[in-house]
Amino acid sequence: MEAKKIINKIRSRSNPQYSEYIDLCNYVDSDSPLVQELPSLKVAILRNFTVELLIPVIKAEIFLLGFRPEIYVGSFDAIAHDVMSHNSDLFQFSPDVIILDLWLNGLAPKLVEGFNGLSETSRHDEVDRIVDELNNIIMSIKQKATIPILINNFPLPDYASAGIFDSQESDQQVDTIINLNRVLLQTAKKYSDVYVVNFMTVFARIGSCTIDERYWHTARAPLGRQSLVAIGQEYGRFFRALKGKSKKCLVLDCDNTLWGGVIGEEGLNRIKLGNAYPGSCYQSFQREILNLYNRGVILAICSKNDELEVLSVLRNHPDMVLRERHFATWEINWNDKAGNLVKIAQELNIGLDSIVFADDNPFELELILDQLPEVEVIDLSGDPSPFRSKLLMRGLFDSLTVSQEDKGRTDMYLGDRKRKQLLATSTSLENYLCKLNMRAGIGIPCDINIGRIAQLTQKTNQFNLTTKRYTEGQIREFLDNPNYDVFYIQLRDRVAELGIIGVAIIQYSSDQAFIDSLLLSCRALGRKIEETLLANIIQTVREKGYKKLVGLFVPTLKNTQVADFYKKCGFELMKNEEDKTTWLMHVEDKEFSGPEWICVQKLYEARG
Amino acid sequence: MQVKELELKEVLATVFKVDQARIDDDASPDTIESWDSLKHLMLVLALEEKFNISFTEEQTVEIVSYPLIKLVLAEHGIGLV
Repeated sequence: MEAKKIINKIRSRSNPQYSEYIDLCNYVDSDSPLVQELPSLKVAILRNFTVELLIPVIKAEIFLLGFRPEIYVGSFDAIAHDVMSHNSDLFQFSPDVIILDLWLNGLAPKLVEGFNGLSETSRHDEVDRIVDELNNIIMSIKQKATIPILINNFPLPDYASAGIFDSQESDQQVDTIINLNRVLLQTAKKYSDVYVVNFMTVFARIGSCTIDERYWHTARAPLGRQSLVAIGQEYGRFFRALKGKSKKCLVLDCDNTLWGGVIGEEGLNRIKLGNAYPGSCYQSFQREILNLYNRGVILAICSKNDELEVLSVLRNHPDMVLRERHFATWEINWNDKAGNLVKIAQELNIGLDSIVFADDNPFELELILDQLPEVEVIDLSGDPSPFRSKLLMRGLFDSLTVSQEDKGRTDMYLGDRKRKQLLATSTSLENYLCKLNMRAGIGIPCDINIGRIAQLTQKTNQFNLTTKRYTEGQIREFLDNPNYDVFYIQLRDRVAELGIIGVAIIQYSSDQAFIDSLLLSCRALGRKIEETLLANIIQTVREKGYKKLVGLFVPTLKNTQVADFYKKCGFELMKNEEDKTTWLMHVEDKEFSGPEWICVQKLYEARG
Repeated sequence: MQVKELELKEVLATVFKVDQARIDDDASPDTIESWDSLKHLMLVLALEEKFNISFTEEQTVEIVSYPLIKLVLAEHGIGLV
């Protein structure tokens, strides 16, 4: 199993090498059925420099996310031509993502090498000209297709053209390029699904040797070896986020992971944690974990310890950054960690492939890699000083939006714990659901929540009838299209505000309404809120004068729980195919209402 | 520094996606089809990474056969065993 060896090597290595990427790419390019069976991810690269050396890394990163890469590379420095016509090779290729790879020296050589010869006005003119040019390219693509675009910003020069004087005045070289990057971001933000890839931070990460002067001069291939790896990986982060492969939960070991030493042996006062080395490494690691928490990552603990001892550190150690309330759940016992991770996944109602496990013990990591290959692991063996960067370097939790729901996620799971207590004191499930005092609102997405709607389509796996993934841009298109309705449902109960937890997309044709998407976040399962949403769909469809409502179930590995959903709701089976079942409801003579214990409010005016 | 010749052959085999047995003293763009200009750039990067060295621009152009690679590596103090 040669491939698995390379894959695990790259996955667990903190700094995979360029040659390892070439090796993996060879495998990806082979006709192995393991690769051929994967769904494809098509990436088009439009560029003004030689990107060919970058391609092995990009292909390997796509493969590591579980896709078969297909790459289209535009002609050298011919971007305007690539995007000009509908039937260009670019649009024929129908990419899932378009990357614009731009090198400033190609766009504006004077800003790079002849800066001192430019007057102040011409410096501004150059910036305006570049931004105009890029704006035209983006607009030209957007007019023809809804495809996410990744556009890089521009790294700073290693030696500014005016030397140390450069930093003493504004409008010098560094300031001009920073300003250019700022305007580029503003331009990108005018569109949906245009994302800036920050070459400045990527280069900061590598430090030196970012540029290969030899290759720039001989082959117009400016990126040094480390840059090729780092930039390819950076694109990988965007692919992960765009394809809904972002991780949701970080599960942590305790001893020698959250603090130095073993609590069971050293005790509360002796473990290494504080503002002096090595305790400071653990503290800065914890601060970074807290950052993830504030971004919406769920935290959990899986450790072989005495539970009370760990809780006492969480509650009483003065230098702990993370406290009990930050963890949604924990398994602190002497059972094997694979079993414990499965329990954690079940309790949080997430898939194992949404989990990242961080531990310092190579034995435990091996066990997880072997028994639960879906789980990503972070190897924290050895020196604690790079823990922080090991946590961040693979961008496992990266997403393109951070919503209100993300920020309150762990509160939600704490709410779950309270609800479980409530359930224990209830006489029946219905009695419990009544006691929950649920209030739902059904609305049509607007600017402030379109990000959350797209995110739900990208991340929801279990209660998802068709598992169609949409970008913000596509959601906007549906909203602008009179043949579509998009609804979201939000929920509040006596324990917590759950935020937006469900989405429905309906497509209308001449004689029927079709449920394109119907999904519910796992945080809201088991409350029959889906029936509330469906009741709203049925009512809307009926009011629009349609008699037939058609729904689809497309099975995936994860959504078996909704296989019977339409049947249970009174739809008739129309067609039973291998890869999908089609269901029909005659809505004109159908009474269907949601559960009486959910109080529903409409947050919109009916559209024509 | 002494390195095993097998390790060197492995670098070329990976970059050119050929069997290691094909890498011998005859190996050059004339005998190995996949040894084009792009793969040559990759080869330079892979060799530099493997042996932790940095070729001059001139050397990157020179190393267009297996014997020449060995020669230039020797200039960087790398001997094969």
